[in-house]
Amino acid sequence: MLEGLVSQESLSLNSMDMSVLERLKWVHQQQQQLQQVVSHSSNNSPELLQILQFHGSNNDELLESSFSQFQMLGSGFGPNYNMGFGPPHECISRTSSCHMEPVDTMEVLLKTGEETRAIALKNKRKPEVKTREEQKTEKKIKVEAETESSMKGKSNMGNTEASSDTSKETSKGASENQKLDYIHVRARRGQATDRHSLAERARREKISKKMKYLQDIVPGCNKVTGKAGMLDEIINYVQCLQRQVEFLSMKLAVLNPELELAVEDVSVKQFQAYFANVVASKQSIMVDVPLFPLDQQGSLDLSAINPNQTTSIEAPSASWETQSQSLYNTSSLGFHY
Amino acid sequence: MERQIINKKKRVFSLEPNKNPSAVFTRKYTSHLVPALKKLNMNKNSSKQTVKHEVDMALALSAQEFAWSRFLLQKLSSSSNPTTTTSSSSDGIRILERPDKEGGNEEGGIEERLRELKKLLPGGEEMNVEEMLSEIGNYIKCLELQTIALKSIVQDST
Repeated sequence: MLEGLVSQESLSLNSMDMSVLERLKWVHQQQQQLQQVVSHSSNNSPELLQILQFHGSNNDELLESSFSQFQMLGSGFGPNYNMGFGPPHECISRTSSCHMEPVDTMEVLLKTGEETRAIALKNKRKPEVKTREEQKTEKKIKVEAETESSMKGKSNMGNTEASSDTSKETSKGASENQKLDYIHVRARRGQATDRHSLAERARREKISKKMKYLQDIVPGCNKVTGKAGMLDEIINYVQCLQRQVEFLSMKLAVLNPELELAVEDVSVKQFQAYFANVVASKQSIMVDVPLFPLDQQGSLDLSAINPNQTTSIEAPSASWETQSQSLYNTSSLGFHY
Repeated sequence: MERQIINKKKRVFSLEPNKNPSAVFTRKYTSHLVPALKKLNMNKNSSKQTVKHEVDMALALSAQEFAWSRFLLQKLSSSSNPTTTTSSSSDGIRILERPDKEGGNEEGGIEERLRELKKLLPGGEEMNVEEMLSEIGNYIKCLELQTIALKSIVQDST
């Protein structure tokens, strides 16, 4: 089906007789295919839905007016999409220029599951789309040549699209990239090569995932916002715990000669019972389980943790705080020996 | 405290003792620590440093699936008085002062804090940031369980 599209367009472009109406009709077909493609992929992002709704209208004025909105959407796309998908973060981005200024470009990231797999090895591509007539013709010619020369390994036909709806571009580009091995990459002005920024973004999101997990573990982290404050809280908490351990071991050292040997066997079993009860009452099993198989992956699977985190963590953290309060009360007395 | 009283009344044992990771950790921890304390007790030369050593050793041995525990073991076996926490307690005073100076510059402040966090974690300075963050997560968990275990031991003997 996709190849049919390609040939159809190349034919139509070749003729150069395609009227605006026919072009628009073809574009509309692309829209519908895009919607099919997108609905097949399990993508619930609100931004995507907005885009879909938006490109139902081929209005240039709308495009201009929502230029800023798209910019925000474009920036919001990256993290949202990257959260939804696994490690290979390849996204197709399209840039389309505003009606008035050919140099300005917008970036819209669109990612579906199939595409990521298909393009997982390849570069991201950012074709520039110019909506002016002369530029259109230039693009058409260029794309004709490219599509004629080889179906595989040349850039998309999306460049030629006249009505300049970005999602249409993405749909065509997306559908095309599924079969292309090599994707022509054009760097945007003033931005580094996309592979690096992609990797950067992926890395940043991994880190923020882990920060969120730490936020759930460390009690009292919810009140502070921002990385610096959270890191402060985490540092304080770790220091607290270490100081507690130190104090307890000192206390233990003092009490050690008084430990009854017979009691210790009993106490070991008591610990097991205690922890079984404590853990069961804390209902924090969901929290603990992901910790241990992680050394293989090196990453945290938050999707399993998150639903249970907020409710289950409240109780144990509160109890820990009361315990620590009592401990510190005794510690202030204890350090005087 | 009430929980302990309740537990003394009804002794409930877990049906699947190996499935729950915190129970597994605490069981291992106590099984390492208590005999070591017994041995120390019998030798009659227990200094506070040595108890700390045993405590850290028990922690490292009970959590061997993590990277930080390997580093901790190395430190413990290499030096005779290796206390990760005593060194950090001196760093603690520095930490408390630092946020006042670093308050304005958030970007640089984050780097500083990450470095401090790395210092707290045994072996953290040799890891990269992502790895360190996940290791910190389970280090915190293990520290919590360790404090619970130590408290129970101390409570039992008093």
